[in-house]
Amino acid sequence: MTSSPPPALELTALTRRFGRLLALDDVGLSLAAGARHAVIGPNGAGKSTLLNLVAGTDRPDHGTVALDGRDVTRLSPAGRCRLGIGRSFQQPLAVPELTVLENVVLAGWPRHPRRRGAWRSPAKQRLHTASARRWLETVGLADRAELPAGRLAHGERRLLDLAAALAAEPSVLLLDEPAAGLTDDGVERLTSVLDALDERTAVVLVEHHVEVVARFARTVTVLAAGRVLVTGPARETLARPEVRDAYRGTGPVPAPPSAPRG
Amino acid sequence: MGLLDAHLVPAVDGVAYGLLLFVVAAGLSLAFGTAGVLNLAHGTLYAIGAYAGAACGDGTWGGLVLGLAAGTAVAGAAGAGLSFAAFPLARRGHLAQALLTFGLALVGGDLLVQVFGADEPPVRVPGALDTSVTLLGHRYPAYRLGFIVMAVLLAAFGSWVLARTRAGAAVRAAADDPRMLAATGVSPRAVHLGVLTAAGALAGGAGVLGAPIIGPGPGTSENVLMLSLVVVVLGGLRSPWATLLAAVAVGEVQTLGVAVAPDLAPYLLFAAMAVALIARPRATEPPGGHDPSPTPAPDPLTWLRTRAKTLPWRRTRAKTPLGTGENAKGWDGVGRGTPASSPGRTGTGASLPERTGGKASLPGVALARRVAVPALVFGALLLLPGVLDAYTVSLAGSALALGLLAVSVTLLTGHAGLPTLGQTAPFAVGAYTTAVLAGAGWTAGPVQVVLAALAAVVFCLVTGPAVVRARSTTVLMITLAVGELASAVAGRLTSVTGGADGLVGFPPTRALWGTAGMVEERDVYTYALVVTALAVAVTLLVLRSPAGRLLAGARGAEARMRASGHPVGRYLLVAYVGAGALAGIGGSLTVTVQQYLSPADVGFEIAAFALLAAVIGGTTSVVGALCGAALIVLTRDWVAGAWPGHGPLLLGVLFVVAVYLLPRGLAGLRRGPNDAAAGGHALLPAPAAPPNDKVPT
Amino acid sequence: MLQLLGLTAGYHGGTVLHGVDLTVAAGTVHAVVGRNGAGKTTLVHTVAGLLRPASGRVLLDGLDLAGRPAHRIARAGVGLVPQGRRVFASLTVAEHLRLAHRPPRSADRPGVWTPERVLGLLPRLGERLGTRGANLSGGEQQMLALARALLSSPRVLLLDEPTEGLSPELADRVHSLARTSADEGMAVLLVCPSPAQAIGCADTLTVLTSGRTALRMDGAAARADAAPLRAALDLTPARD
Repeated sequence: MTSSPPPALELTALTRRFGRLLALDDVGLSLAAGARHAVIGPNGAGKSTLLNLVAGTDRPDHGTVALDGRDVTRLSPAGRCRLGIGRSFQQPLAVPELTVLENVVLAGWPRHPRRRGAWRSPAKQRLHTASARRWLETVGLADRAELPAGRLAHGERRLLDLAAALAAEPSVLLLDEPAAGLTDDGVERLTSVLDALDERTAVVLVEHHVEVVARFARTVTVLAAGRVLVTGPARETLARPEVRDAYRGTGPVPAPPSAPRG
Repeated sequence: MGLLDAHLVPAVDGVAYGLLLFVVAAGLSLAFGTAGVLNLAHGTLYAIGAYAGAACGDGTWGGLVLGLAAGTAVAGAAGAGLSFAAFPLARRGHLAQALLTFGLALVGGDLLVQVFGADEPPVRVPGALDTSVTLLGHRYPAYRLGFIVMAVLLAAFGSWVLARTRAGAAVRAAADDPRMLAATGVSPRAVHLGVLTAAGALAGGAGVLGAPIIGPGPGTSENVLMLSLVVVVLGGLRSPWATLLAAVAVGEVQTLGVAVAPDLAPYLLFAAMAVALIARPRATEPPGGHDPSPTPAPDPLTWLRTRAKTLPWRRTRAKTPLGTGENAKGWDGVGRGTPASSPGRTGTGASLPERTGGKASLPGVALARRVAVPALVFGALLLLPGVLDAYTVSLAGSALALGLLAVSVTLLTGHAGLPTLGQTAPFAVGAYTTAVLAGAGWTAGPVQVVLAALAAVVFCLVTGPAVVRARSTTVLMITLAVGELASAVAGRLTSVTGGADGLVGFPPTRALWGTAGMVEERDVYTYALVVTALAVAVTLLVLRSPAGRLLAGARGAEARMRASGHPVGRYLLVAYVGAGALAGIGGSLTVTVQQYLSPADVGFEIAAFALLAAVIGGTTSVVGALCGAALIVLTRDWVAGAWPGHGPLLLGVLFVVAVYLLPRGLAGLRRGPNDAAAGGHALLPAPAAPPNDKVPT
Repeated sequence: MLQLLGLTAGYHGGTVLHGVDLTVAAGTVHAVVGRNGAGKTTLVHTVAGLLRPASGRVLLDGLDLAGRPAHRIARAGVGLVPQGRRVFASLTVAEHLRLAHRPPRSADRPGVWTPERVLGLLPRLGERLGTRGANLSGGEQQMLALARALLSSPRVLLLDEPTEGLSPELADRVHSLARTSADEGMAVLLVCPSPAQAIGCADTLTVLTSGRTALRMDGAAARADAAPLRAALDLTPARD
């Protein structure tokens, strides 16, 4: 009890309501540094809402989000990022008139080790640019570096968004359906990027792509209708029949279990 | 009960007044929220109705009905005309359309004065309504009670159509995603036309029926537009009930407030506004974003644009025979200024890959160009007084002051993505600070400029938090309200500002400590030029530093920036404060150049001119904005001098022409129409793509 | 039948599609696959009239639709399920259905779709009738986009990555709905990034590479041997 470090990310009793719709209901989750965690579930289960609550773009009605033992529930997305929460977007975002490279420079800036005064120091800007180039190489967009981001195709924008998320070198990385809309080789590139992630980073992956989840995740949370159906080791959890049912969504909305399991 | 009793009549009046504002504001928010048109000609539509009501009203029911039919039909037709004029601009964003409607409002206001004269015509209501009824022991005009009933019925009908019918659903869908609506089989063109026609008819009808409450006159358009904008900002666009409440509140302030506390009433509106803006700045967000993805569909105006490429030069030559040789030099000065826009442009993204890529070729040459070209332009401008007459030199000084205001608008609109109509507020703060300082004997130029900038900074720090929390066209409305209320305060705070009479007779500014006061136009001009050059140089340096890219990020991908840890709100506040300082310096220069100051110098027209100047300049080009300001001052004071009394008409035409022919401003003329997609912006910087939108592969 | 002849289109002067020829016969599903940036969405937008072609023809049962405004094309019988769903944020599900429902004037439409029929197939929407588009989950939005397109009883249905972000079960349902529509006589153009998603229900497959047709093959042949398909996707030059 005394020496164990606090979890990298801890969610306690998160609840979020949109009007009459209960999008998330009493969701808890605890991840250690280096976790490889997937959140799966049918559409409308509350996966994106969960990510938004963790990233700070949305605030919970109840419950807390803690990063390394520190309560960040009241912090803005920018404040959380500076503490180490990075994310990718389901609908990727970039500054269309800046180049791909400049977009990554901007994304890496607030957490770059040489950020102080970088806006007026060309030398520090060069350092930032060099780091950004490495991230573009990592995601396979190096040959697009000088192109305005607005000219990228949809799948490439997703890779750029991934590079932007990585550039902040987060300690907790949230990935919102990074494989959606990618071609087969894009998915392969994505998996190799995921495999090469820093071992200390805790990763939360929301994804439908079964192979990506199965290959990447060590632990899995299954959400259904805003509630945690089960959390557990990936292989066993994915094999459980009720998870398969819920994941494949055999009914319109799988009824949440009356008593919490797992 | 005594208090209530004494104020019952003004209180009921306030309800009638408020309902009138509600009907007008409903049309305004309908056009804005669903057709995306911030219709600055909406007050003019009301005025059309009011004039029609006055002209047809002869004290009979027939006259009222005839007036109602005529006023509604004419204003509806004018609304339809607006739709035809504005629709081709729809994909260029809200700002282009707002400027177009303002230009048309200037033209329409001029025409109304031509037709109906500059007086306020009397309004007669049918005899049966021209009596009074007894209300809780008070006599009250029957007409106003009848009006209250009519307005309630109209409001109920309108909200039923919007919320319950298929047409209403189509209207709301058009606000969300017009191109997707088209793909669903509904013509967005028809929706646009229908909405603007209905809004026009609503304003016209309100004008006819409301003429006995807010009568026709030369000031009617602006008065009604401002009050209904205040209602829309207070009430937000989401709920008609909130708008109704806001309208009645404003009505009560304008009637009951004046009756109870005549001294405080003007500030009550300001205070209500401030509270609403600070408490719920997001309430006025339009319900949905427009699809910003640009389409290359051949524009009917494309060929005009291509032709317009050579236009400024042709115009120069065409003018020469008309004006004197000296005046032609004035045009030439503008023309020579245009190439200088290159440093401005290089700062805005076009050359960024070059710099960050570290492959800038021939740095010596590039540096020489960067320093030499502005230096040459500065030198040429410095020599202007030698070849121009005194009047033109003082015009050039005014142009510089307006130019700085336009630069501050460019900074906010083009770089920070906050389109503003309210930079006249810090401009006014700077101007009045300078005038008051001069009156108190502080005449040293540097002191005036620095204190004016500081005062503007303080003002912006106070108003900034409300402004930078809003986005897109909402900013336009909020800043419009801020600017308008600032100029209202300038008009009322007689002890400091001299009220409507303005300030005059303060000692002239001294360029430096120990020098004599500047009275010669050429000295004043040189002083203004040096101050402007310094301010512009600092602005360009900051914009060209990586800080400029931070603003680009805040404008282009705000959620990404926030998620990457950038305090976007702080960046925008810094930009707003910086732009305020620029505007404050511009205000200080105005006072030095003009040697007098009145509320009209900081009014809505000046705000619209500054925005137009920024747009003519291409919204991101600092030097382009200066050129735009020069063009506007020339049109207003020099060309209009040849046709007295029609300055507004000419400016209105300038607005319309500029919006149509210069979609990317002067800077766009130097760039190909195609590469602009990568480095430049249309009139309004493309709003951050709504989550539903993607650039097609 | 939808027929594209020499279709060329692009953005800002940059040409994305280079003379694409493609035919979708009534009663069939034609899948277009290709890498990101191959021009798939541009193709769909051009057919739907959201983008004006630079040249070429878009024939719907012989009638040239190229260059007509989007709402005319929609009324002529082209239904669009766009990439990213694009449901109307402020309209409820019921309002979407009412707005989109356009009973065909002539009897030449392959199937007649009514709100009742759509809700029967997509019962989840029925539970959300009063919910605004913005408050629907991604999958529900996709269902709604599909319903919106079907309710005009189109002759041609354009599906642009309709399964992006959907759970496998919902994706299956979308594909089977596409199949059902085709079996009733609709011409269905299905766009997806990878052939794996389309191979099950497509009668014809086209591989699009850099805006050009790289390969066309029969659906049955592709199911028997997908190697040529994968080769066409993989062996193409990486990027241009």
